[in-house]
Amino acid sequence: MTTHESELDRAERSQVKWRKYAVTVGRIGLGVALLVAWKVGADAAGPLYAADPINVFQRIVSDSMSGSLLRHITVTLRLSVEGFAIGCTFGVALPFLLRRMPRLTRAVEPYIMASVGVPKYALVPLFILWFGIDDAPKLWLVGLLVFYPVFIAVFAGIRNVDRNLINMARVAGASEAMISREVIWNALLPFFFTALKIALPRAVSAAIIGEFLVGNEGLGYMIEYSRQNFDTTGVFTGILVATALVLVINAALVRLDRHFNAWRPIDRDMAL
Amino acid sequence: MAAEALLEVRSLSKRFGNRAGREPSPWVIQELSFVVNEGEFLTIVGPSGSGKTTLLNILAQIDTASGGEICLQSHAAPIGNSKSLKPGLACKIGYVTQEDNLLPWRTTLQNVLFPLTVQRRLNEDTRARAQMLIRAVGLAGFENHYPHELSGGMRKRASLIRTLVYDPPIILMDEPFGALDAQTRAQLQEDLLRLWNLGRKTIVFVTHDIVEAIALGDRTLVLSRSPARVAGEHRNSIPRPRDIRGIMIHPEFAPLYQRIRVQVQ
Repeated sequence: MTTHESELDRAERSQVKWRKYAVTVGRIGLGVALLVAWKVGADAAGPLYAADPINVFQRIVSDSMSGSLLRHITVTLRLSVEGFAIGCTFGVALPFLLRRMPRLTRAVEPYIMASVGVPKYALVPLFILWFGIDDAPKLWLVGLLVFYPVFIAVFAGIRNVDRNLINMARVAGASEAMISREVIWNALLPFFFTALKIALPRAVSAAIIGEFLVGNEGLGYMIEYSRQNFDTTGVFTGILVATALVLVINAALVRLDRHFNAWRPIDRDMAL
Repeated sequence: MAAEALLEVRSLSKRFGNRAGREPSPWVIQELSFVVNEGEFLTIVGPSGSGKTTLLNILAQIDTASGGEICLQSHAAPIGNSKSLKPGLACKIGYVTQEDNLLPWRTTLQNVLFPLTVQRRLNEDTRARAQMLIRAVGLAGFENHYPHELSGGMRKRASLIRTLVYDPPIILMDEPFGALDAQTRAQLQEDLLRLWNLGRKTIVFVTHDIVEAIALGDRTLVLSRSPARVAGEHRNSIPRPRDIRGIMIHPEFAPLYQRIRVQVQ
């Protein structure tokens, strides 16, 4: 009886192990297949249209050695972080201010929603006209692209807060400021993190596009400069590095999310 | 009764605001008057939909009344305007709602300490009191669990002691044990009476269950079907401490039950 059970147990355990193993093998296999496809595709298309992966990796190594890659990454990262901080601050603060003024909210809501529809990248020429060719127009672009998803999510999050929790807190003697900080802020954290998952990669993309158009530093500049010199390997290198940058930021974000939303009963998000 | 009136409700009325294009909304509560004495366990029974929750929301100052007066410790409470309401009347009124309303991101202990935290009354003594209450209701060992990791009964216990911990002079309870199975419910009723015996707080306990109203209360008010009015008042002289599970075989139970039942429609 017991031997029979343990045999079943063992069979089941090995099956579970195999399933885990299968996912890992599948992932690695898929990665290798993508690399092979890249190589084959690049060979077929020729060096002007697609860079050879081996050349790209060599370029990453040589640019890292010379320090130029790190400089470009730092510039893009700084721009993304600053623009993100600005957009995020307004995206969070505005809904909290509007919460206390329902009539004003109703009045301005259609205008805010209409402004969502303005294509932000199309505003860059104006930003350059108004704010010059330093960081300012790029910060405006990044800030605006971050502002909207954060604003919309926080706004929705605030409306979604359980009225009963707020009433409970009021009866228990909490001031409005405490309710904002404790009840509303915590209740909307999952919304906020969902917004961040959209906003952070956007911040990096916007910074790169900003650098296409103005300036002489950063990953965007590096990509655009390579393109102008028919250096397809440089373009691919820039794209690959930018992607890696976004992935690293996302991974950090997922960790933060786990930390702050540890109380949530189930993990609803896709993991990297 | 010589006891002092702690809470007085006089000719309270309530109807919800009209919505455009609809009939004027009916009265939920009309001309409702009663008194709650210091240290009394008052139970209120009424059919579902009779405005019991609305009444408690008004008493707890999270909803307005359309007319009447509420006096706590002889001071009139604001009732008419939602801006002037003072939820919980400066922590004088505790409210245990139908749902437990635990903050899902706070652990059991943090939830229990929540009122003390926001009232800035967190110190050694109040912490010790919280620990005492946690042990008293059998939540010891679950202090660091999140609400979703607790059973329904445990969540109710946590929500109950979250109000007891800051010791408001009067506590309102809105069918707190409504959604529980019979066993857990009896257990929680016993816990509640035991805790009540320690401090003899003033409690207003609303329920639709006549047996529960008799088992717990010193006095039972019966509310009529909407609009809510006091349809009857019944003094309950079954001696304490009471045997909750055996309350039905007490000789005074059956006639009291019968008198209340005919009024609850």
